[in-house]
Amino acid sequence: MEALKLKLKEQIIEALNLQDTKPEDIDDNAPLFGEGLGLDSIDSLELMVLLERQYGIKVEDPREGRKILASVQSMAEFIQSKQPA
Amino acid sequence: MSKHRCYIQGSAAISAQPTFDGDFFSAPLTTTSANNLVAMEPDYKAFIPPNSLRRMSRMLKMGLTTALKAVQNSGQPSPDVIITGTGKGSLSDTEKFIRDIEAYKESALNPTPFIQSTYNSVNGLIALQQKSTGYNNTFVHRGFSFENALLDSLLQLAEGNVQRTLTGAFEEMTAEHFYIKSRIGFWKEATIGNAALFEHNTPGSISGEGSTFFLLGNDKTPHAEAVITGMKMLYKPSAEALNKALPQFLQKHDIQPGDIDLVITGRNGDINTDHYYRVLFSAHCPHTPEVPFKQLCGEHDTAGAFAVWLAAQILKRRALPAILQPYVSHLPKTFRRVLIYNHFIGEQHTFFLLERV
Repeated sequence: MEALKLKLKEQIIEALNLQDTKPEDIDDNAPLFGEGLGLDSIDSLELMVLLERQYGIKVEDPREGRKILASVQSMAEFIQSKQPA
Repeated sequence: MSKHRCYIQGSAAISAQPTFDGDFFSAPLTTTSANNLVAMEPDYKAFIPPNSLRRMSRMLKMGLTTALKAVQNSGQPSPDVIITGTGKGSLSDTEKFIRDIEAYKESALNPTPFIQSTYNSVNGLIALQQKSTGYNNTFVHRGFSFENALLDSLLQLAEGNVQRTLTGAFEEMTAEHFYIKSRIGFWKEATIGNAALFEHNTPGSISGEGSTFFLLGNDKTPHAEAVITGMKMLYKPSAEALNKALPQFLQKHDIQPGDIDLVITGRNGDINTDHYYRVLFSAHCPHTPEVPFKQLCGEHDTAGAFAVWLAAQILKRRALPAILQPYVSHLPKTFRRVLIYNHFIGEQHTFFLLERV
């Protein structure tokens, strides 16, 4: 799980071009939107694309996406839940 | 256009020369050893918040920054309308989006390159920054893109519906697009660089890019740089029509060829199309000093905007930049009136007439 979260942080930084941000600057449970990283609606679409391209997971329901993209922790838990046991 | 006087209240240009924040008038020519001139990009952080900057592509950063600097230089409030022209818009975003369509089989496409690949995305960003909810339009008409944007602005100002328009043009060159255009003979086969642009008697030119913006208005403001007094566009004119058009244009504006202090031409070293300039000015203004400008900014769809910026700076400073002085046998005695003649690949021809404030 820790390795997944670190990888996810690196992918988020690259996908969203978060200059001057390092993986250790992102708190696992900090909100990604509004506060925390201060991401916006276009970033949420970029993160959906990230999930699809990097993990082969397509989020069909936008309401579900809101919960999944709440933090790095929730994203990592979602990815893990979709991976084969 | 009628005899309406449109003041350039402020302007800014990003080009391959130090036009944005350098001393352009005394600077030496910035050269390239390749057949493409690359724009000198400024530090965008002074104009755009980091959180917005991270998502913007090169073209958007250049366009938005130039627009903001033009407004800043004018000392005037935000514009009533925003009108721009671009031949290709943000090419790098368009190419990325198209590449991704193929790579990801039309699924999982990033929204950002798609949004930014649309021609009017620069205008949208400017409007958001300036909190401008007025008329907002981008003209995409190849070599007439900037010219139509300017025409729209001049008409709106002449009608008195608006006080200030932000008018500009932006263009970028990518490796892919350079290659495509090289296949259809746009660029010289031999690598010559811009310093030797006029020394090779061969077809083609060198490519360029850049962003140029003007805050235009009906009033003479403290920072006003020059006045645009006329513009005429001609699409694929015959030799006869072109030969008649210049004297008619001058007559319409009540001036004689001798009243023009300087001619700026879009000569680009292409033997297939440079004859238009030679024939026209040897017939009508044989004694007027003439300087070319595409060795500074390269050939591109909206190079005419750079010529207008250059003319405005010359009229404002009442001097010829050092890098242009070798092209004239004698310096103009005064800098009251500048005529620009530019054409794009021999198809879209434009005259611009500017006067000092």
